[in-house]
Amino acid sequence: MTANLADPAVTPEELTRPTDGPPEPRKGRWRGPLTPKMFIVAGVAAAIGYLALVPLGYLVWGTFFDAEGLDLGSFERAYGDGRIGELWGNSLAFAFGAALLSITVGTTLAYLNVRTAVPFKALFFAASIVPLVIPGILYTVSWIFLASPQIGLLNAFFEPFLGVAPFNIFSLWGMIWVEGLHSSPIVFLLMVAAFRSMDPSLEESALMSGATRLQALRKVTLPLVRPALLSSVLVILITSLESFEVPALLGLQNGIYVFTSRIYFVLRSYPQDLGAAGALAVSLLAVAVIGVAVSRILAGKGSKTYQTVTGKGFRPRPMDLGKWKPVVGVGILFYFFVTVLGPLLVLLYAALLPYYQAPSWEAFSTFTFDNFVQVFEMNSAARALKNSLILGLSAATIVMALMAVASWISIRSTIPGRGIVEQLSFVPLVIPGIVLGLSISFVYLRFPLPIYGTLFILLIAYCTKYMPYGMRYATTSMTQISSELEESAMVSGASWWTTFRRVLLPLLSPGITAGFIYILVVSFRELSSSILLYSPGNEVLSILIWEQFENGSFNVLAAIGVLMVIALMVMVTIAYKLGAKVGLRED
Amino acid sequence: MRKPRTLARTALAAGAVMVLAACGGNPTSSDSGGGGGDTASGPSAAEQLYEEIAELSGQERRDRLVELAAEEDGLNLYTSMNADMVDAVTEAFTDEFDIDVSTYRAGSETVLQRILQEQDANFAGNDVVETNATELMALQQEDVMAQCASPERIDEVPEAGKYEDWVATRFNLFAPSWNTNIITDPPTVWEDLADPKYDGQLALELGDYDWYMALTGYWLEQGMSQEEVDQLWADIVDGAKVVKGHTVMAELMSAGQYGLASSNYTYIVEAAMADGAPLETQPYVNPIIARPNGGSCMKTAQNPATAMLFMDWLLDEGQAVLADQAATPSTVDIESELIPVDGQQLLDEGAEWSQRYDDLLSGVETIGG
Repeated sequence: MTANLADPAVTPEELTRPTDGPPEPRKGRWRGPLTPKMFIVAGVAAAIGYLALVPLGYLVWGTFFDAEGLDLGSFERAYGDGRIGELWGNSLAFAFGAALLSITVGTTLAYLNVRTAVPFKALFFAASIVPLVIPGILYTVSWIFLASPQIGLLNAFFEPFLGVAPFNIFSLWGMIWVEGLHSSPIVFLLMVAAFRSMDPSLEESALMSGATRLQALRKVTLPLVRPALLSSVLVILITSLESFEVPALLGLQNGIYVFTSRIYFVLRSYPQDLGAAGALAVSLLAVAVIGVAVSRILAGKGSKTYQTVTGKGFRPRPMDLGKWKPVVGVGILFYFFVTVLGPLLVLLYAALLPYYQAPSWEAFSTFTFDNFVQVFEMNSAARALKNSLILGLSAATIVMALMAVASWISIRSTIPGRGIVEQLSFVPLVIPGIVLGLSISFVYLRFPLPIYGTLFILLIAYCTKYMPYGMRYATTSMTQISSELEESAMVSGASWWTTFRRVLLPLLSPGITAGFIYILVVSFRELSSSILLYSPGNEVLSILIWEQFENGSFNVLAAIGVLMVIALMVMVTIAYKLGAKVGLRED
Repeated sequence: MRKPRTLARTALAAGAVMVLAACGGNPTSSDSGGGGGDTASGPSAAEQLYEEIAELSGQERRDRLVELAAEEDGLNLYTSMNADMVDAVTEAFTDEFDIDVSTYRAGSETVLQRILQEQDANFAGNDVVETNATELMALQQEDVMAQCASPERIDEVPEAGKYEDWVATRFNLFAPSWNTNIITDPPTVWEDLADPKYDGQLALELGDYDWYMALTGYWLEQGMSQEEVDQLWADIVDGAKVVKGHTVMAELMSAGQYGLASSNYTYIVEAAMADGAPLETQPYVNPIIARPNGGSCMKTAQNPATAMLFMDWLLDEGQAVLADQAATPSTVDIESELIPVDGQQLLDEGAEWSQRYDDLLSGVETIGG
């Protein structure tokens, strides 16, 4: 074997240009011949590069070049609007507010769920994910039914006592509230994974040394999960900046405009103004690149800082809440009612009605199961459910498998250019869904294999779209695993692949499971690229939901929402039960 | 140390993509003539058939198409009709001719994007397109469709629905609708929407710039000055709420969030009324703004005879099926006065009107709370 065969040609840019400069010093175990490790690592890196660069290249091309050549006019069209300052002001206030709320809620719930002895744990866990399952439009409209100044049920309830309607969902606060709660499961899942991989003895030491519970939380627990917190902030900030559903339904009523409303219009015009959309996406890309770079610096600085899974055995053990138990219990009940039960009950109520009306005896007397019957009588419902299941399970499996290896490359390896793998994996997050769909159809319409028009093209779209989330889940867990475990396995003669499979993968399982659940659940809702890429016979559930929406049958939509919550709850519970069978176990 | 290099590598990788993309041609250019090689090298097989059949009429034409269609492989339809409507239409067509229809359904903008992408790559995905006027005008400009419906049937369609490459199959009617529990004195003319008595009760839809364009044109034609029209719009928007989506518009109105919707599709409101919702659209505010929706055959159709048969049928027997679905068929006389949305104007000035409507709405005053 020649020397350059041992060079791990793994990063996409290394595949397209010759290596320059002196090679980085490598650890001895890299000097193998063509090992499975090299193939796996190179394959994963190439896959990520490919998935990320297809939509990015398409967008970059549309932004900077038109038929005549370089064109910066698109920037002027995107940012030249006189209101751009106000639009960004609203967008930033909305995104930061939503991030703050979802992180507070998600982290608190995850902590209580994993680290303390709260009652009804399984139920609690499942319910924490409900906002993720309900499609955004249904979740938002159910909040209008709850907290509109005109027709809100909560307002109708409180108004006799207070004299005024206390809630106004059509405000910036309302937007933050709905988006923050709707996003909180992303944080919850990330933080559950992080807390699950934490040795409670660190907190116990702090408590023994005289710290109060709050001090231990602030000085020990939270600093240890900083990478997970940072990942959450990054993901939520960018997704809220991009979100249009909540601002459109809640903000527009009172003239609160955000900058995505421009993207929404320019992408729907003809000829399509991909340039202006790209120019706006560039801002998001800048936020993303800086965010990922900062998180890498953080994770890199004394890489031992966050490693809580070490060679020293531990079993995560729930903390007794003591006198706080009733307080926490009431708090959880309150949270349930507000974020889960409230919107869900409104949905169920709407699903039982032929058209929405305020609750009254008259309304109750019109209760009917017609909407549910209609769902079951839909022509392609069974096929769409099957397709969605296949796609959701495959996308979740593929993404998490790729990202497990990618997180190793990014966090643990010494391969030159490893940072770019993480950067690239994050790219699809800033690409608008329509652009993602267009870029994928552009490529596969010209691809020699018949992928266009099959379920496979949807799978590629889903893998691309959910790669950033998968990577956040996997890297967060990877930063927590001490390298000494890997080294011990190596020293004992295990190959890299065996070590990865037998040591790292089980220890990564909290993060992998959380990412798997997230992707499985949200892939059922994916519409923006599915609608362009599906073909007759390959319908997915989100398309059926959209059709009901177009038909004007909002109440059938509510029935679908209720059924989706039930179905996905069952699946999530199964996934978590399976996930809990490997890796760290609780007492 | 690590960060600058990472950024540099990102830039390099991005550069590599641009180079690769350059080899593939500009993905966003839409001036490549759509139909690709077929149009450059003379009429396609489908176009030849369209010309051949155009000489036939009446039963002879129908029989010949049925005979040819039997040798073809079903029909591929791309449409933005809603699900109930398209299910009814395709079932009726299949019942009559025993021809399978495979349907791709999406919003009109998505249908357009899909066809543009496919045509650009010389992929013949559909035989027939049925969608909104705006998108059909775009496809007409791309020169990918061929007028294929029977001239006898096209004659039945009003002028506002006849275009060079396509013909209207139905009209979407924009009319005010209201919640009868809240609004006791509904508007009778469009100018009434500006009445302060509807402040706080009127809702406008975010994307209805075609309605805005048509109504503005109507008022100007009626002899109003531009200033008067602008003032009228300012008064309408003053005290109005903005809603996204016509379905949400109807749902929130039946729930009582507001009492009056400026421009919902009549078929959505009528569907809610059929379920018992306290809504009403009649007596219609005259004139009704009507946006044509139409169809045409593709030059690249793989099943051209079936495509022609479908268009003929949709403008003939299919019109009754559309009417059953609360749609407004294009060949049936409507008693009310209709103001059609001009497809050509939408294509030429659509972006400008969209921006103007957006600017108008974003001046909406804060209300509620």
